[in-house]
Amino acid sequence: MELGAPLDRVEGWDKVAGRARYSGEQRVAGVCHAVAVQAEIAHGEVLAVDATAARAVPGVIDVLAYGDAPALADTSDFELAVLQSPRVAYRGQIVAAVVAETLEIARHAQRLVRVTYDELGHDVELTPDHPGLYRPEKISPDDPPDTGEGEETPAEVSVDVTYETPAFHNNPMEPHATLAVWEGDHLTLYDSTQGAAAQRDALAALLGMPAERVRVVAHHVGGGFGSKGVPPRPNSVLAALCARRVGRPVKLAVTRQQMFSITGYRTPTFQRMRIGASKDGRIADIEHHVIEQTSTAREFAEQSGVVTRMMYAARARRTTHRLARLDVPVNSWMRAPGECPGMYALESAMDELAEACGIDPVELRIRNEPERDPDSGNPFSSRRLVECLRLGAERFGWSSRPEPGTRREGRHLVGMGVAAATYPAAARPAQALARVADDGSFTVSIAAADIGTGARTALTQIAADALGVPVARVRVEIGDSALPYGPLAGGSMGNASWGWAVLRACEGLRDGIARYGGAEPGLECRADTSGEIKNQEAYARHSFGAQFAEVRVDVDSGEIRVPRMLGVFAAGRVMNARLARSQFVGGMVMGLGMALTEESRMDREFGDYLNHDLAQYHVPVNADVLGIDAIWLDDPDPHANPLGGKGIGEIGIVGAAAAIGNAVHNATGHRFRRLPISPPSVIPHLP
Amino acid sequence: MEFLRPTSWGEALAAKADAPGAVPIAGGTDVMVELNFDKHRPEALLDLNRVGELATWSEEEDGRLRVGAAVPYARIIGELGGRLPGLAMAARTVGSPQIRNRGTVGGNLGAASPAGDSHPPLLAADAEIEVESAARGTRMIPAGEFYTGVKRSALAPDELIRAFHVRPAEGPQQFSKIGTRNAMVIAVCSFGLALHPSDQRIGTGIGSAAPTPRRAFEAEEYAAGELDWAGRSPLDERVARRFGELAARAAAPIDDVRGTAEYRLHALSVMARRTLTWAWKDYLNGGATACA
Repeated sequence: MELGAPLDRVEGWDKVAGRARYSGEQRVAGVCHAVAVQAEIAHGEVLAVDATAARAVPGVIDVLAYGDAPALADTSDFELAVLQSPRVAYRGQIVAAVVAETLEIARHAQRLVRVTYDELGHDVELTPDHPGLYRPEKISPDDPPDTGEGEETPAEVSVDVTYETPAFHNNPMEPHATLAVWEGDHLTLYDSTQGAAAQRDALAALLGMPAERVRVVAHHVGGGFGSKGVPPRPNSVLAALCARRVGRPVKLAVTRQQMFSITGYRTPTFQRMRIGASKDGRIADIEHHVIEQTSTAREFAEQSGVVTRMMYAARARRTTHRLARLDVPVNSWMRAPGECPGMYALESAMDELAEACGIDPVELRIRNEPERDPDSGNPFSSRRLVECLRLGAERFGWSSRPEPGTRREGRHLVGMGVAAATYPAAARPAQALARVADDGSFTVSIAAADIGTGARTALTQIAADALGVPVARVRVEIGDSALPYGPLAGGSMGNASWGWAVLRACEGLRDGIARYGGAEPGLECRADTSGEIKNQEAYARHSFGAQFAEVRVDVDSGEIRVPRMLGVFAAGRVMNARLARSQFVGGMVMGLGMALTEESRMDREFGDYLNHDLAQYHVPVNADVLGIDAIWLDDPDPHANPLGGKGIGEIGIVGAAAAIGNAVHNATGHRFRRLPISPPSVIPHLP
Repeated sequence: MEFLRPTSWGEALAAKADAPGAVPIAGGTDVMVELNFDKHRPEALLDLNRVGELATWSEEEDGRLRVGAAVPYARIIGELGGRLPGLAMAARTVGSPQIRNRGTVGGNLGAASPAGDSHPPLLAADAEIEVESAARGTRMIPAGEFYTGVKRSALAPDELIRAFHVRPAEGPQQFSKIGTRNAMVIAVCSFGLALHPSDQRIGTGIGSAAPTPRRAFEAEEYAAGELDWAGRSPLDERVARRFGELAARAAAPIDDVRGTAEYRLHALSVMARRTLTWAWKDYLNGGATACA
């Protein structure tokens, strides 16, 4: 009943009416405010922190710095060992904090804190031949950095090209905010996080406390895109330290500008693609060599090459990842980490191969469909890429695609591009509790997170469907680590993981009600999916999709507009058509930004990101987003999980930038291999 | 920081004389951003929102419009768009609807950023800025003399911007702006153009491509001489192209995070050529009288 229906968000009215409280809006008595002091050098040591002037400001409660801050139990992760050492690993790192009665006083006093440094000189620029490049032990989440199989053979047609992507910042609408409240030796953190339980476990370990004494609450989260995942960001740790120190609740809200240094971003990449194929476009050898940066504070190896391990059939295949350790802020998850930049490179190279072979790019991909997952050797649980490509080609009018550089309409060059999309479809163990409430309605509890995706609504629909009751009779409680364990919202695994547990709990409760002979208040059923997940059959589980884009390039100014995009996805069963469409379209808009407007510029002199606000870091605005549409196949995948859903949070961005880049090539006849494709870069190559 | 709230223009001038370091604030769309980013910490803010006459406009006896410094962009578009089409076009490219409801031309002038969107149309339309001090009274500053450096203007420390004066368009006007996205964007560069048929003259304004907004005099003179004002014959494409080249030659751009100097020069020549082409087409279609 109603599973898949385009239900409005169950908390929609609370959000538009301002009743939904985000972390920074929680109210507690006696709260005070903390503001971080950030390092002004990119590499070196703090010699001294002079807080005399700051402490003299009326209303300032305390100033924390290395040497007098409360100690952490675990300092193995330098990024989270906040104020535990004098070392400065990047510009913007937290080196002190001011706690005051009001935010204004705290901000004022923050400027009066004088920090002196021993500056060591910094290295902040990734280059493809950086002398420090090394092979990481593993790439995220836990995969080998290099793979290789098969013997290289002489190819009839070959492509050997390198693509370059800049750093990108996540920029969710809600900046990170934390309210830390200690009651005795119990800590409650109201925190904008993608996973209350994971955040609790991480904070408990850092603070050396049993997990039972830490509670993390995140009822509403205004977007994350990976930046509110785990490990935590240092601001959450700092809030807990400040509150412990002053013995009062402390609120710490990260500013938009601070987000450019302390809440994560995507590494820039250089990706070399080598593909050898026969004249008819069948891939013989494929290679994907990735060069990325990581911070000296914490290693993060983005898995950009993994897509080449599973996407297409080939006789020989090699992927490598190399990192340079730089004095830069800590890069981390952002909007389909790995798949997103990796598919930009792979799908751009496939377009180049199609051109080299003289084969239609849609047909080229169809010719290289693998029978099984080339990476694991397992069968795919389902793989309907070909249907997505064919349906999209038909809907988009692909057959009218011009020869490169030949369609001119007035002062515009017009072109079309295609790219495939894929994203893993995993599920993590979760627990849920379904219960008959006193009024005979149903309550379902799980420490899930709704970061704007609509998870609360989808889980309500899953529960109502399993219980066989209208959604109005089901209330889903999420966003609190005190609820039954749920994994974080990340890797597009949220609904598959939580929904599975909710389904089992509700099925169990329904059976219980049948046995009991009625919905007696207090009847409950608890489910845990860890056993089922452990015993899942060996399948390669991935979502697939096809992205189409049309671009118009102004021959005089070089401006690029995207009048149409179409995404066709095979992403398992869709739980809510309205919210799913938002997820797909939202991802595609992010792909548009990646292709044309977004770029974090490193300031070589100072060693931080220069365009660190939304006036200068350009995400697309409404006027840039013209005709974007997303459709999907009816695609329940019985091998994915009992719900048949695969996860839709990230696949929308995958391939979108490549489709636009390929369309720009089709329009202009020139291949641009560096993102974003900007008017100044386009102009010299126009007729 | 002091927060001064005069209720009349006289009080505002007196307050500014007493505290020359006070930063005037009307819509706050620029001042508040600077404060929020901690770029400046002025000794005082001088809130002009209670000075009602600053948010009014009138027709003067000399035939010009006198537009109060605190008339927001949204009202310029809605109430004056027919008579100040170039400025209205520029106003439509400012920020978002919320920003256009609050932001003012007076604020744009006060900030004197080379990227301010109002400057090119004010330059092209020969606007004059009315400024006043308690000590010396009123003086009129031609827009071309108002901008003196990056974020610096001819305004004396004790002066406030009262209004700008400009003739209603007697010929077609155009404005063009390039940004890295389609809205909510600071100009990479911009160009304003006004035809003055009765003088057989062209006015121009270059934005975001020199330390100050400035006119392209050589381009103006060249085109004015080449255009067939009386015979109204179509624009020769070579004239338009040359006009674009000369407009670009007037600029002195730099490389910055928004764009390169090279691209700015190219874009300026494109925008100048296009705006002249559009405006001349309007002129041939009788736009001269339609706008008057």
